[in-house]
Amino acid sequence: MSANQLLVSKVMILDDARAHSESLKAFCEECGLVGIRPQRVDESGVVAILDSNVALGGILLYENFGGEAGNGLKLARKINESRPELPIFLRRDSIASVAGLSEKDAAMFRCAYTLEDLQQLRAVLDTSIFSRIYPAELVRGIADMTRTSLETLFRNCDVVVETPYLVKDRVIYGEVFTMISIDSNWCRGYMMLQASEEYLLELLRRDSNGETVSVREMNNILAEATNLIWGSFKNRYAGHNHCVSNLACIQVPIIINHKRSYISFGSEDPQLCFKYSLWERNRADACAVPIYQRFIFNLNWSPEEFRENPTVESLVDSGEIEMF
Amino acid sequence: MAQVLVVDDSSTVRNDVCGFLTANGLTVTPAIDGKDGLEKLKGDHAIKLVLCDINMPNMDGLTMVEKIRSELKNTSVNVIMLTTENNSSMKERGKAAGIKGWIVKPFNGPAVISSIKKLVA
Repeated sequence: MSANQLLVSKVMILDDARAHSESLKAFCEECGLVGIRPQRVDESGVVAILDSNVALGGILLYENFGGEAGNGLKLARKINESRPELPIFLRRDSIASVAGLSEKDAAMFRCAYTLEDLQQLRAVLDTSIFSRIYPAELVRGIADMTRTSLETLFRNCDVVVETPYLVKDRVIYGEVFTMISIDSNWCRGYMMLQASEEYLLELLRRDSNGETVSVREMNNILAEATNLIWGSFKNRYAGHNHCVSNLACIQVPIIINHKRSYISFGSEDPQLCFKYSLWERNRADACAVPIYQRFIFNLNWSPEEFRENPTVESLVDSGEIEMF
Repeated sequence: MAQVLVVDDSSTVRNDVCGFLTANGLTVTPAIDGKDGLEKLKGDHAIKLVLCDINMPNMDGLTMVEKIRSELKNTSVNVIMLTTENNSSMKERGKAAGIKGWIVKPFNGPAVISSIKKLVA
């Protein structure tokens, strides 16, 4: 299996070509795209999805979406104004190029394609959304270690992890997030955990057997989850004796806009995301509480140097004392 | 007067560990980082064991242990590191500072309580 076949990406599909919906669906599956369609075929439907903080990898947009000539362009301008980081791929009826569009409009699109030639789109998708190779062992390892860490802290929950996905979006899910830097000889960047304060607090309060759980305590639990995952990542994947090169002093500003739930690390590369759902074991009517994890390797990404640390035959499991 | 000093910047871990040790008959005092740990140890000569995280703000755990030995001149208190770290160079540094043991998180109270009780006896 190639490294990125474990990964998908969510794309908003603004295309109402009923005659071709099956071939488009098959194409999306082939490319590892998970299509999300708005419930309403108008601007409000599109905005509803964008505002719902679904982390997207891109948008497939039909030029005449909604049945009106050029409507797609109007939508593209709105999307581009609020979410310029989202790549938009324009489907046209007969020309697989942006010919005939103004320079400003043409600049909004990564490419133009027709239904007759989806392979051209495929090539651009690979460079736009799937431009980074994430080693399969890394992806699997992250999911395993995170699930274990979350199950340690949320003892009454089963933790289910969905297929990881790539995003270009820079939205923050929920109100509370943690962030920690990751530093090794082959990757440098950050890991984030994002959650809804309301859902997480409710879960913790139900699990607390009547004891009060404050927001600060909830924050601390999420922080400890971050710490456990980070520690596992370092132990397994960060070279313990890696040379601290001049690259270690490289930093870029991180921009956060709370009002718009926006965070940027200065890089256009797709971010690796995982969604973990916490299901309470003893509550049949419980809804899953999601925690989103993002890896943003914005400072260094050298997957060719990726190595799992050699496993040392340890007589001591985690949680037990190694006496000296 | 406490038998065990628990040093961790995470209140979740402090509450977990202190609660478990107290339930098992030990007297415990918490500290929030290495600097706080040094102060608490300076002020309580009854402490026989320090359970200490490594990655903490203000002062990390290994630096704290080294200062316990060099600045407080306390060579008798037992120290066990309780940390996410599991690398050999950190363990060597800890051993050079005279630590007695190493626990990789998460804390598993039942697995370690008998060793802990021996170290505070």
